[in-house]
Amino acid sequence: MAPLLELRNITKQFPGVLADDRVSLTVEAGQIHALLGENGAGKSTLMHILYGLYRADAGEILLEGQPLQLHSPADAIAHGIGMIHQDFMLIPRFSVVENVVIGLQEGGPQLDLRSAAVRLSDLARQYGLAVDPEARVEHLSVGVQQRVEILKLLYRHARLLILDEPTGVLTPQETEGLFAVLRRLAAQGHAVLLITHKLHEVIDVADQVTVLRDGRVIGSLPARQSSARQLARMMVGREVTLRVDKPAQQTGPPLLQITDLRVRGDNGQPKVRGVTLTVHGGEILGLAGVDGNGQSELAEALMGLRPVEAGQVTLAKKDLTRHSPAARRASHLGYIPADRRQVGSIGPLSIAYNAVLGTLRRYTTWGGLFLNQGQIDRHARHLVNEFDVRTPSIHFEAGKLSGGNLQKVVLGRELLARPTALVVEQPTRGLDVGATEYVHRQLLAERSRGAALLLISAELEEILALSDRIAVLYQGEIMGVLTAGTQDPNSQIELLGLMMAGSPLASLSNLHTPGRSDGPHG
Amino acid sequence: MAKSHWIERRLQPTDSLLATATVTLAAIVLALLLGGLLMLPFTPHPGQAYWAIVENAFGSLRGLGFTLVKATPLILIALGTIVAWRTSFFYLGFEGTLLLGAAATVWVALRAAPQEGLAGLPGWIFFPLVIGAAFAAGGLWAGAVGFLRSRFGGNEVLVSLMTNYVAILLVNYLVSGPLRAPGDLPQTERIPETTLLPFFIPDTRAHAGFLLALLAALLVWLFLRRTPLGYELIATGFSERAARYGGIPTSQRLVLAAFLAGGLGALAGLVEVLGVQFRLMDGIAQGTGFVGVVVALLGKLNPLGSVVAAILYAGMGVGSEVLQRRAGLPSSVIFIVQSLIVLLILAGDLLRYYRFTWPFRTGRLTATARPRE
Repeated sequence: MAPLLELRNITKQFPGVLADDRVSLTVEAGQIHALLGENGAGKSTLMHILYGLYRADAGEILLEGQPLQLHSPADAIAHGIGMIHQDFMLIPRFSVVENVVIGLQEGGPQLDLRSAAVRLSDLARQYGLAVDPEARVEHLSVGVQQRVEILKLLYRHARLLILDEPTGVLTPQETEGLFAVLRRLAAQGHAVLLITHKLHEVIDVADQVTVLRDGRVIGSLPARQSSARQLARMMVGREVTLRVDKPAQQTGPPLLQITDLRVRGDNGQPKVRGVTLTVHGGEILGLAGVDGNGQSELAEALMGLRPVEAGQVTLAKKDLTRHSPAARRASHLGYIPADRRQVGSIGPLSIAYNAVLGTLRRYTTWGGLFLNQGQIDRHARHLVNEFDVRTPSIHFEAGKLSGGNLQKVVLGRELLARPTALVVEQPTRGLDVGATEYVHRQLLAERSRGAALLLISAELEEILALSDRIAVLYQGEIMGVLTAGTQDPNSQIELLGLMMAGSPLASLSNLHTPGRSDGPHG
Repeated sequence: MAKSHWIERRLQPTDSLLATATVTLAAIVLALLLGGLLMLPFTPHPGQAYWAIVENAFGSLRGLGFTLVKATPLILIALGTIVAWRTSFFYLGFEGTLLLGAAATVWVALRAAPQEGLAGLPGWIFFPLVIGAAFAAGGLWAGAVGFLRSRFGGNEVLVSLMTNYVAILLVNYLVSGPLRAPGDLPQTERIPETTLLPFFIPDTRAHAGFLLALLAALLVWLFLRRTPLGYELIATGFSERAARYGGIPTSQRLVLAAFLAGGLGALAGLVEVLGVQFRLMDGIAQGTGFVGVVVALLGKLNPLGSVVAAILYAGMGVGSEVLQRRAGLPSSVIFIVQSLIVLLILAGDLLRYYRFTWPFRTGRLTATARPRE
C-alpha cells in the first residue's frame, strides 16, 4: 500500500535563497514523524507548501499514491492535512465547540451546536482528549487549548496532523500529556508530522526522524536508533557540545535585590505579586515558569519600563525603584528583552545605530549637539567583531539580520556596557543550536566576570544548564528556590514541573528535601 | 507542479532604489494617461497641454518665480510633517499652525509700523524676532496637542484636525475684531514696507521666504540625521517600546516633535504674510496645510525629497492656472492629475510586496549561496 503522504523532490526558490532543495519525505499512517532542523533549514517553507500556502517550484506531493495539487489551507484540510501553529488560532470568548465548528458549513445555514458538541465529546473520548465542549476557551490552560486545536483537526477528519514546535508553551507534565495523545493518534492510524528543534523530544516520541539542513535532507532514520549527539551533528553539520561547561565559582556579594515587588499588567490585573529575590555577583539565578506568569512584567519593572506598584529594587545597595530607564542604565543595569525585534532593537535603523541604543549620549561632539559618527561606527565595528555578528556592513538594517545575529547585536551592546547586573529574558528563543551555544557561553563569561545574572526562560533545559540557583514563578509568585545540581536531574525536573504548575516548594517538601535554599537567601 | 503564476507575493517588501523608482515613474505615467483622457473634451492633444504646463511653470523666469512662491509654504508644512510623522505623531493641524503663524507674524509686523513700539528696528533684529514669534506661536499650538497625546493618550489625528477649525475661527475673530483695519473688508492693516521679505530673483515674485524654506530643509535634514535629539525622535517613531528600553524619554520627545512641527508649519504662515499677502485675512490657508502633508508623503518623508516634490507639485498648479486662462482647460483636470499621482504613488507601495515570476525558468534552478545563521 502506498504511504499516506509522500513528498518527492520538493524544491522552492526564493530570491537568493534556495529554501528547499529536492526534499523528499515519506510519512506512513500510524507514524509519528519528526522533522528536525535549525532555523532557516527549510522546515517552515516545506510545511507551508504542504499546507497550501506556498507553491513548490518543482516536485510533487502524493497522498496515498495520488498526486495532489494544493492551492490553499482549505484545500489541504479537505484532503485531510491539518496544521497546528505555534500560536493557537482560537477565539478566546467562544466556547470549545464554537471554536471547533467555526468556518465549517455543514448542515446548511442552521448552526447545530448540540449535535456538534455530541460528536466532539465522542471524538474526545475516542482519543483521550478530555475537554468540556461548553467551556470557554479563555478559561482553559494552554495545554488544554492545544487539545482543542487537535480536536478541531480531528473534527475535520484530518488524517495527517502537522504540529509546529508544539511544546514551547507547555510545562514538562503537559508535554508528557501531549506526547501521550500523539501516540494514541498514531495508534489509531493517524500520521503526525512534528516540527521541532528539540532533540530529546524527537527521541522521546517520534518513530522516524528526518533531518533538514540548508534546505536538503541530510538523513532519515528510525528515532530509536538515533542519539541526541548524532542528531545534533546532522542538524548543525559539526560536532556540538550539548553540555554547557559551567566552571564552579565562588559567588560574590548580593548585587540585585528585589523585595516584595508588585507590578500590574497591561489590563491592570496584578501580574507580579510580591516577588522577593536576590542575585549575587558571579551567579546566574534562573527564573523558570510557563510563559505568561508575570516574567515579562517583572523584567520590565526591573528596567523601569513598567511602573512598580509596591516593593523595592536595589542594585549594589542603591535604590533604583523610582529611577528612569536611562538612570538604571547609568547605574549599570543591563536588560536583554525577550522580544529582540520589537524591544531590543529598532529594525529599520542600522546596526551601528542599534549598537549605541541606550548609550547614545556618549557618542557626541560639540558639547552634545551633534552625533560623533566616527565614534559610533568604531563602537559598532568593535561590537560586530567582538561578538561575531555576520553582516555585510555595520550600516546594514538591523531588522534584516537573522534572529541569531540580531541577538548577538543586542547581547553585545548590553555586555559592552559592562553591567553590574543583567536581566536576560528568553535569550535563545527561536535561535538555532549554534547561536544558542554562543549566547550561553557569553552569559557564562559574564558570570565569571562577576556580574549578577537573572535568567528568565521558559526553556527548562536552558535554566538547568546555566543556573546556579533556580526560582519558579507561577501566577506572579515565587513557588520556591532550588540550588541547581544538588539532586538527581530527573527528580529535580519533576519538582520544577510541579512548581511550574502551581505547587509551592514548601508543600512538596515531603517529596524532596535536599537542595532547598530558602530563607533570606532566596 | 507549479504552472505559470506571473506574480508572487514576497516575504518582505523590497526597498531597492530601482523598485521605488519604477513604481513612482509608473504611477506618474499612469496618472498622466488617465488625466489625458479627461482632457480630450477640451483639447485633442493632451501631450501638448502637459508640455504647456511645464513651459508655463518652469520655462520662464517669471513662471519659475510663481512656482517657487507657491512651493515655499508647501516645503515648510512638509518639513513640519516630516518631523512629526517620523516621530509617529500623526499631526494634521497644519492649516491651524499656518494661521497661527500668520497671525503672530502680522501682529509683530504691525508693531514695526511708524509710531509703534518696534518702529525703526533694523532687519537683522526684526526678522529673527518675527520668525521666533511665529515659530513659538505655532509650536505651542501644536505642542499642546502633543502634550495631550503623551499625557492622556487619545488620537492626535482627530484632535489636530479639530484644532484647524479653532484656528480658522480665531483668525476670523482677529480680523473682524481686535486687528480689524478701518474699511469694509474683514482684514488687518497692510504691514509696513520694511517688514516685507525682499525679492531675490529680479522681476519675479520669488521672495526670500523660499531661501528660508531651503535653509529650514537643510536644518531639518541635519537635525534628523546628525544630532542625538533627531536620532531620539526617529527611534521613538520607529518603536516607542524600543526607544523607552534605550532610555529615551519618549513622552518628552513626542512633545518636542509636536512643537517643532508646529513651529515649522507656522513659518509657512509667516512667508505667506511677509512675501505674498502682506496682511491677515480670512481664507489665507486654503488647504495649504493639507497639501503640504501630501508633499511630504510624496517626498517619502525626506526633507530634501520634499523640496523637490513641493516644487513639482507647485509647478503643476501654476502651469494649469495659466492653461485655464489661455486655453480654457479647467484647472480641476490638473488637480485631478495631481491627486491621481499622489494616489497612485501611495497605492504603488503595495506593489513592493510582489514580484514577477518567469514561468519558463521553473525547473532549472541553480543552487545559490545561502546566508547562514
